[in-house]
Amino acid sequence: MYSRFYLSVLLISGLVLITFLVFATYRELNPEWKKYQLEYRDLLIKNAPNEAARKKARSIKIEHQQIYIKPLKKVDRCMNCHRGVDDPLMKDAKVPHKLHSGDYLKKHPVSKFGCTLCHYGQGRATNKKDAHGKGRDTHWDYPLIPFKYIQSSCAKCHDYLFLKDNGGEMVVEGERLFREKGCRGCHKLNGVGGDLGKPLDIIGSQPIAYFPMKYVVGERNTYNWLKQHFLDPRKIVPGSEMRVFLSEKEADLLTTYTLTLRAEEMPRQFRAIRYTTPVPKDGESLYKMYCVACHGNGKISAYDEILKRTIPAIMNPAFLKIADDKNLERIIKEGRKGTPMTSWKRTAAGLRDEEIRNIIKFITKDRPDERPEPFDYKRFVTDTKHGKELFNVRCALCHGKDGKGGKDHLGLNLRNPAVQKFVDPEFLAMTIRDGRKGTPMPAFGKTGVGLSDQDIADLVAYIRSFSDKGKK
Amino acid sequence: MGEVNQSGIAKFLNNIRSLKKSFLGSFLRSGKPTSDKSRAAVMFNNFFLHIQGVKTHINTLRPTYTFGFGLISLYLLIIVVISGVLLMVYYNPSVTEAYNKIKDLKYVVFGGNLLRNIHKWSGEGMIIFVLLHMARVFYTGSYKKGREFNWVIGIVLLILMFGMNLSGYMLPWDQLAYWALLIVANIINSPKEITDSLGITQYFDIGGFFKELFLGGTNPTQESLTRVYLLHIWLLPMFLFLFLGIHFWRIRKDGGLTRPDTFERKDSDVYYVNPPEKTGGIFPTYKTYGLMELARGRTPAVDKDVENTVLSWPNLLIAELAIFVLTLAGVIAYAYFVDAPFKEPANPLIPENPAKAPWYFLGLQELLSYSAFMGGVGLPGLALLGLALIPYLDREEDRVGIWFTNRQGVTVALQSFIIGTIVVIGILAFVVNFGWFRNWWPNVPQILITLINPGNIWVGFMIVYSLFVIKKTGSTRMGAIALFTMFLVSYVIFTAMGTYFRGPNWDFFWSKSQWPIH
Repeated sequence: MYSRFYLSVLLISGLVLITFLVFATYRELNPEWKKYQLEYRDLLIKNAPNEAARKKARSIKIEHQQIYIKPLKKVDRCMNCHRGVDDPLMKDAKVPHKLHSGDYLKKHPVSKFGCTLCHYGQGRATNKKDAHGKGRDTHWDYPLIPFKYIQSSCAKCHDYLFLKDNGGEMVVEGERLFREKGCRGCHKLNGVGGDLGKPLDIIGSQPIAYFPMKYVVGERNTYNWLKQHFLDPRKIVPGSEMRVFLSEKEADLLTTYTLTLRAEEMPRQFRAIRYTTPVPKDGESLYKMYCVACHGNGKISAYDEILKRTIPAIMNPAFLKIADDKNLERIIKEGRKGTPMTSWKRTAAGLRDEEIRNIIKFITKDRPDERPEPFDYKRFVTDTKHGKELFNVRCALCHGKDGKGGKDHLGLNLRNPAVQKFVDPEFLAMTIRDGRKGTPMPAFGKTGVGLSDQDIADLVAYIRSFSDKGKK
Repeated sequence: MGEVNQSGIAKFLNNIRSLKKSFLGSFLRSGKPTSDKSRAAVMFNNFFLHIQGVKTHINTLRPTYTFGFGLISLYLLIIVVISGVLLMVYYNPSVTEAYNKIKDLKYVVFGGNLLRNIHKWSGEGMIIFVLLHMARVFYTGSYKKGREFNWVIGIVLLILMFGMNLSGYMLPWDQLAYWALLIVANIINSPKEITDSLGITQYFDIGGFFKELFLGGTNPTQESLTRVYLLHIWLLPMFLFLFLGIHFWRIRKDGGLTRPDTFERKDSDVYYVNPPEKTGGIFPTYKTYGLMELARGRTPAVDKDVENTVLSWPNLLIAELAIFVLTLAGVIAYAYFVDAPFKEPANPLIPENPAKAPWYFLGLQELLSYSAFMGGVGLPGLALLGLALIPYLDREEDRVGIWFTNRQGVTVALQSFIIGTIVVIGILAFVVNFGWFRNWWPNVPQILITLINPGNIWVGFMIVYSLFVIKKTGSTRMGAIALFTMFLVSYVIFTAMGTYFRGPNWDFFWSKSQWPIH
C-alpha cells in the first residue's frame, strides 16, 4: 500500500539499527573484566577450605569494583581484574588473581592506597591495554612501572634512611649514585647545581611527550628513555654533552632514583618521614656531587671528546703549588666564562661560601708545602716579536700555531677568555717556568728546557697579546 | 433516552470504560486517518505535522531530487541534541574534572563511549550533510523565486553549526582541545596582522579584544572552558533553533520544496508514492478551504499543479521515518566501530606539533599559514559574503528546480570542477615547492603578503573565472555555478591538504608515516 522504496529503506535500516543496538548492548554487558572475575570466583570455590567458605564464594557478585582515594581524588578500578590482590587464599594463583607479593599490603591497605599510587598505570581504565597504559594510543603518560623501578614509589612517602633497611635498597643506592656521579655539576635540583643541563626537579613526572622518543628502543615511555639515556646519552639525544659512564645495573638504579623526582607532593597523612636525612657537608662528598662529572679524579688533564675541550687537572700538585686558595675561590665562585665551568656562588649555581671552602680544602689536600719562587713580571721590558718566535718553536706543537689547542693538540686553549682575562701574567710565567708535573707540560725555565726569565716574560707578553688581536 | 435514566455512578463508569476511545479521540480530533479527508485533517490538526503541507508534490518525494540531505541534517541535529543532553548528565566543565569525566564515560558508564561517539559523529556528520544540502539547493537553483532570504538564513545556520562543532571540540580538555582552542583564539586574533601593518594596534586592537573576550584572558584557562561550554550548550543552540524555525517556516510559506514548472509524472513514481483515491483536489474547487491544500510562490495559488500532489499522510511521513531510521542506523553503526578521538590531558607546556584545528577548519588553517588575517578573517568573510549574495546577483528565474538548470550548466559545473582542481593543486604544489615571499625576501613587509598570497590569488582567480563564464555564456546562473563549484572544490582540497599532507611545523609530507617521530 505504501511506497515500496521508502518501506524497504525503512525495513533495511531498521534491521541494521536493531542489529547494532544488540551488538552494542552485548559489548557493554560483557566487559573484559567480567571474564577475570568469573575466573576468580571459580578459583575461590576451588580453593575454599570448608563448605561454608565455598558457599560464600558461590554467592559473590560479579560486579564493577572501584576504590576512591578521597585525599588524592584518585579512582582505581584495577580490582576489576585483580580481585584476589588482598586475598591470602590466592597466594599460589596466577596473575591477575595472585595475592600481592611481600607484606606491603599489611601497612598499605588497598582501600587506603589503591594501586596506581605506587604502580602507576591508568586507574580509571577497565581494560588491560588502557589500564596498563601500553602503547601510544592509550594516551596515558604514566604507564605501569616496571618492577625493577618500583622502589621509586616508596620514596614518595619514606625517607632514604628508613628505606635503607626496609626494602628500599635500590632507590637508596640510586640516590647515592646520583650524589657521587656529579649529576648536579650540570643539573639543578632544589635550585642548587650547574646550568649546563636541564633542572631535574620534576623530571620523573614529566609527560611522555616531553622526552624526544625518536631513538628509544622498545616501548616509548619515560622509563625506557631514562635508562637508555643513562647508558648512552648521545644515542638518545644526538649532540648531548652529558658525561655519564654507567653499567647496566647503575643505569637501572639511577633511573629508579630519577623517577622519585616528581612535581606532586603526597598529602601529609600519607607521608612517613621519620628521620631527617643529613645533607653531606664535607669536601669530598661535595666534590663528588658537583665536580666529579667533568674533573674526574682531578689528576689528569686530557682532551675530552664530549665537551670538545681539554679539562684542566685541578688536583695536580704542580697546579696547586702556584694556584693559591684565593685564586681557586675566585674561579669557583665566578666560573670560567666561555667554558662549561659555571659560576658556583650563592646567587648563581647556589653553593654556600662554607661549602665552597670545603671543596677547596678537599681539592688542595695534596698541595705541596713549599711555595713557588715568585716571578716578578713587571720588572721585565717585554718583546712580543721575540715571544712569537719562541712560541712557534716551543709551544705551537702542543698549543697549536694559533694557541687554540684543540682536538689534535695536547695543550689547553690559550686564547680562551678565561686564560686571557682572569689569569695574571705572574701565574702564566710561573707555569711556563716550572711546568706542570703530572701533565705533558714541561718546565721551560732553568730547571728544564733552559729559557731565561726574559724569554719567558716575552712569551707571556705574546700570549697575552692574543686578546688584543681578538678585540680588533 | 437511556442517558436520562442512568445514575451518576453509571455515567462515571461508562466514561471510564470509554476512556481509551475518548482520550484518543481528543488527541486525534479528526479520527483515524482512513480517508483522504481524515488524512489531511491529521496533518493540519497536529502541532508537529502542521509544519508540513497537507499534500506533498511528487517531485519532493523522488529520492534523486533532494537525496534527503536537508532531512538527514535535521535528524543528525536531533540525535546530537538528545545524545548531548545525556552527555550533560555526566560532563562537568572544569579543567580538572572534564578530562576525568570523559574517561569515566569511556570506561564505566553503560554505553557511555557509544553515546560520546554518536554525539561526535552525528555532529561532524552534520557538516558533511549540511554542505551537501547546500550543494543540492544551489545546483537545483532553489535559492530563487522568493527563497533568496531563506538561502541567507541557511548561511547563518551553516556558521552556527560550525560554531557548535568547534565549541564541542574543546570540551574534553585534552591536548587536542587545548591546542585547537589556542589556534582558534589565534584565528580570532588575526586582525592584529592588519592593524600591526597599519601601525594602529595600540589604539585599535580589535583582534586582541575579541581573543581576550573569547578566552577570558590571554591563555586558555578555566575561564575559557566556561565560556566555550556556555556557547556550546546554550547560546549557539538557542540561535540555531531560532533560525532553524524560520528556515522551515519559510519553506512552508513558499509552498514546500522547489520543483520544475515542466514537471511530468513518470511510471517509476509508483515506487515512491501512494496515489490519492482520486486525482485532483480533495475538496471541491468552489470551496475556499481548498487553499490549504497547497500554497506556492509569493501568493497562495489555487488548483495549480494539484494533480501532481499526493497526501502527506502517509506518503511524506513514511519517507521521513525511513530517512530517520536510516540516519540513526548509520550513525550508530559508525559510532560502534570508530571511537571519537581523545588524547592526553591538556598540558600548556607540551605543544602538539603540529597543533591542528578540527578537520573541518584545516582548510582555513592552510590559508592561515599564508597570511593570518586573510586566512582567519578576510577570505572566510569574503566567502560567506559571496555565498550569501549569490541569490541577489543571479536573478534568472527560469528552469528552477532542475539539477544544473540545463545541459550547459552540467558542462560549466564539470569544467569549473576540472579547472578548479588543477588550479588549486597547482597553487599548493607551487607553495610547497618554492615557498612564498617570506622565503624569497625575508624582509618583505607583512602587508604585501597580506595582500598577495596564494589564498588571495585563488579567490581572485575564482572571481575572474566566473565573470569570464558570465561573459561567455551570457547567463549569471552559469557564473554562479562556476563560482560555487570552485568554492566546494577548494574547500575540499584545502581541507584535505591540511588534514593529510601537513605535518610538524606545517611542513609538507606525503603521508603521516613520514612524520619525524618526536
